[in-house]
Amino acid sequence: MRRVRSGLVALLFPLSLLFLVGRHAGAQFATLRVSGSPATMQVQGAAAGSMALPVVESSTTYTFANIGGTNSRKIVAQLNAPMPAGVTLAVTFDAPSNAVRIPNVVLDATPRDVLTGIDFSLGSSGTITYTLSATPAAGVVPKQSRTVTLTIVSAP
Amino acid sequence: MKVTRIIAAAAVLGVTSAATSFAQSATQTVTFQVDAINQIAVSGSPSLGITTATAGSAPTTVTSSGATWSVTTNQSNAKVMASITTAMPTGLTLSATLAAPSGATSSGAKPLSTTAVDVVTGISKLNAAGLALTYSLDATAAAGVVTSASRVVTYTITGGA
Repeated sequence: MRRVRSGLVALLFPLSLLFLVGRHAGAQFATLRVSGSPATMQVQGAAAGSMALPVVESSTTYTFANIGGTNSRKIVAQLNAPMPAGVTLAVTFDAPSNAVRIPNVVLDATPRDVLTGIDFSLGSSGTITYTLSATPAAGVVPKQSRTVTLTIVSAP
Repeated sequence: MKVTRIIAAAAVLGVTSAATSFAQSATQTVTFQVDAINQIAVSGSPSLGITTATAGSAPTTVTSSGATWSVTTNQSNAKVMASITTAMPTGLTLSATLAAPSGATSSGAKPLSTTAVDVVTGISKLNAAGLALTYSLDATAAAGVVTSASRVVTYTITGGA
């Protein structure tokens, strides 16, 4: 019994410490991780007379923790370089109950809010959905990559 | 004392792992490409019948209307070619006229045969729908009476660069 109680205390104490430090010392703990990188997206078809069909990729997920108060954090996303002219990469973060999603955020080299209103959480997850679109004016675009940096920051 | 040490170790471990096993930032590599796209579609299956003539002239040409065509290409200088699978009867000429999308050039009324002919050229990086497609049927007097027959017209878009 004493061993069980000790184990319980050992488990709860660091969580409580994280909570208290976060709440009362400036919400300094927030973490973010992703499950990997999405598969290659390839625009390759269109209905005659219409724009090319967008490609949707939803194979990756994100997980965040926020030792902070209500609406204390948000996640922003940005590319390391702009997309080619006529090609658009948009992202949607499937929101857990303690956050607010912004659908189809077009990404560029400027940080863009993708998930806002993040409340206290020891671990929340969701799906990341990328949508690649291209206008006819984009022409043929050879295979290339962009790095998407996702950052969990204090909400203004 | 032992419990205290365990708690302290767990606390340190908890704080440390929270601070170091995850970052405040994460990155993903997004890889993408856009392939060459050349799509054409037509709508409508017109029927043409020559039924009259002005005395002293060849039988009166008839023209269909209502058919349309659509195109999407992300290449430059694409063109549309047209052909029929079987030659027309002697003395009969079936022609097609495709309205050009913006920036392209229509070849005007082009007689159709089993050899493909250019009907629209210079199509570059656009999508356009509902473009006019007109057929006309001409007959010489020598063609005589021709019973109802059909031809399949095949349109092909060829990508440029």
